Amino acid sequence: MNDRPIALDMRDVRKVYRVGDSDIVALDHATLSVERSEMVALVGPSGSGKTTLCSIAGGILSPTEGRIVVGGEDITGHSESQLTSFRQRKVGFVFQSVNLVPFLTARENLLVVDELGRRTGAAARERADELLDDLGLTDRSKNLPSQLSGGQRQRVAIGRALMNDPELVLFDEPTSALDTELGAQVMELIRSEVTSSNTAAIVVTHDERITDYCDRSVNIVDGKLQAA
Amino acid sequence: MFLALAEMRRAKARFGMLIVSIALLVFLILYQQSLRNGLLNSFIGAITTQSAPVLVYSVDGQRVIQGSVITPDAEALVASAEGVGEMGRLAQGTFSVTTSEGAFDASLIGYERPSLGAPETLTEGRLPAGPDEAVASDVDAADGFDIGDVVTVQPGGLEIEVVGLAKDAQLNAGPTLFVTYPTYLDAVVAQNPDAGEPPPNVIALAPADGVSDAELVANVNAQSDDLDALTKDDAARETPGVSQIQSSFLIIFALYALVVPCITGLFFLIVTFQKAAALTLLRAVGAPARRLVGALLIQATAILGLGYLLGVLLYAPVSQQRLGGIALSFETTAVVVWALILGAGGLLSSLFAARRVLRIDPIRATTGAGVGA
Repeated sequence: MNDRPIALDMRDVRKVYRVGDSDIVALDHATLSVERSEMVALVGPSGSGKTTLCSIAGGILSPTEGRIVVGGEDITGHSESQLTSFRQRKVGFVFQSVNLVPFLTARENLLVVDELGRRTGAAARERADELLDDLGLTDRSKNLPSQLSGGQRQRVAIGRALMNDPELVLFDEPTSALDTELGAQVMELIRSEVTSSNTAAIVVTHDERITDYCDRSVNIVDGKLQAA
Repeated sequence: MFLALAEMRRAKARFGMLIVSIALLVFLILYQQSLRNGLLNSFIGAITTQSAPVLVYSVDGQRVIQGSVITPDAEALVASAEGVGEMGRLAQGTFSVTTSEGAFDASLIGYERPSLGAPETLTEGRLPAGPDEAVASDVDAADGFDIGDVVTVQPGGLEIEVVGLAKDAQLNAGPTLFVTYPTYLDAVVAQNPDAGEPPPNVIALAPADGVSDAELVANVNAQSDDLDALTKDDAARETPGVSQIQSSFLIIFALYALVVPCITGLFFLIVTFQKAAALTLLRAVGAPARRLVGALLIQATAILGLGYLLGVLLYAPVSQQRLGGIALSFETTAVVVWALILGAGGLLSSLFAARRVLRIDPIRATTGAGVGA
C-alpha cells in the first residue's frame, strides 16, 4: 500500500445471525482497508460471507461488533435513516441480479440517484450524460432496460453506481450473468472508471480471472478474511 | 414526483385501465345518486315543495294524501288544537287529462290558501289567480304542462291553463298540478257530476306565533287517535315506499364506497408486489422509504383524481336526461361529497401498499428478492 487516502476502513467486524437457538457467524473479526483508486477482489466460495461483508461496508447491514469508516464517516452506530442517507451520498452499488429500475430509461436510471438526494438538476443531467458517454451508451440513453442487452444493462448499472461520486463502489459478481468476452469488457470498464473517478472498489467474485483486473485480492472463508 | 410520473408514463395501459375503471364506478355512483334523488322527487316532490309546515292526515290514510279522509269532526278537532295559527284544506286526486302532447294520469292538488299548500317558490310564472289555472311541475313542461298550455280533464272537459312552474313538484311520479280548492272541486264534478263535494284529504296548518312545528304536531295528535299530524319533512319521509327507496340506495352506495377503495388498494398492492425488486433496489441505493411512499401516494392521488374527473365528465351530460317519468339532475353536492369519500377511502386503502413499501429491507437487493419474498 502507499499513502493514498483510505476510503474504507473496517476493524474487527463481526456479524452474527441468530437462527433458532444457535448463532451463525457470517463475518468473523474482519479487518479490511481499501484506498482511493484501489480495486480489491473479494474471493470466496458461496456462503463464505462475501455479500455480508459488502453489505456492511455499504451500510445496508449493521455489524454486530466492530467499526466501519467510509470516506471519513464512522457509520458503526448509524440509525437506519442515517445509513440510507449515507448510502445515497457515499456508496455505489452494482448488484448481482436486479440493478435497474425497469420503468426508467438508461439515463433516468442514472438521474434517479440525484432525485433521491439533494437534487442538483442541471449538474446531475450533465454528469449522467458524461457517464453514459464514457460507458458508450449515449445512443441508448432513452432505452428502457428491457431494450438493452445484458452488457449494456450492466454498463448502465456501473454508471448508476458512479453517479453520486461515491467514496466506495461495491460490485457483487458484476460479470456472473455475462459471457467471457462481455465479462472481460465490463471488468476493463470498471477498472478504467474506478481509476478515473478516484474511488475505491470491492469486487465480489468467485471467478479467479476477475482478480487480474484488481490491485489485490482478499480471500474470505467461513467469514474470515485471508490475504491472497 | 419523478419516479411516480415516470412509471405512469411508461405504464399507460395499466394506469389508464385503472383510471377508466374508477371513472366508470364514479359514473355509476353519481348516476344512481341522481336516479335516487329524481325518484324521491317524483314521489314526494310536491309535499316538500308545498308551503304548509304541518300536514294532518287521518290515521286510516297511512300517510298517503289520496288515502286520507278528514271528516268534519276531525277537522273541528284540528281547528280546536292549541297552537294552530293558520289552517286550510288540501285535497288530492288522480285524474285522466289530455294535453297537446297526449293523455296522462295527473295528480291535482287543491289548496284552500296559497300559504298552506301552494308551491313555496316558482321557477317561472305565477300562482293561480283565479279559477281553472294551475302551477305544474317543471319536470312535466315538455309533456304539455308548460306555461300557457291547456290541460283538459277527461271526461268532463274542464280546461285548466298552466300559469306557473315549480321545481321538482311531482307526486306519485306523474304530472302534477297545483290548483285552487274550487278548481279542484270543479275537476271532481267535471269527471263525475254525481260525486258531490268530497271531504278534504289533508288539513294544512301553520303554527301560531311562538309555537314550533313540532309542538303543533304534538298538540294535534293529542286531540285524537284518528289524527296523524306530521311536519312537512316527516310527511315526505314517511310516505310509503320512501324509506325503502332510501335504505336500498344506501346499501348500494355503501357497497360502492367500499368497492372503489378496494380496487385502488388492491391495484397498488399488486403493483407494489410487481415492482418489488425495483423498490428494493432503490432502497438499497439510498432512497428514503418516505420518498417511495410519497411516489405511491402521488400516483394514487393522480389516478383517483383523473378517474373521478373522467367519471364526472361522463355523468354530466347523462344527468341532464330523463329516465321515463323521472327527471335527473346534476347533483353538485353528491359530486363533492363522493369526491371526499372516494378520495379519502382510496388513499387510505393505498396505505396498505405503502406499508409494504415501508417494510422493504434493502438487504434483499443483494439476493434479488423483493417486497414479498
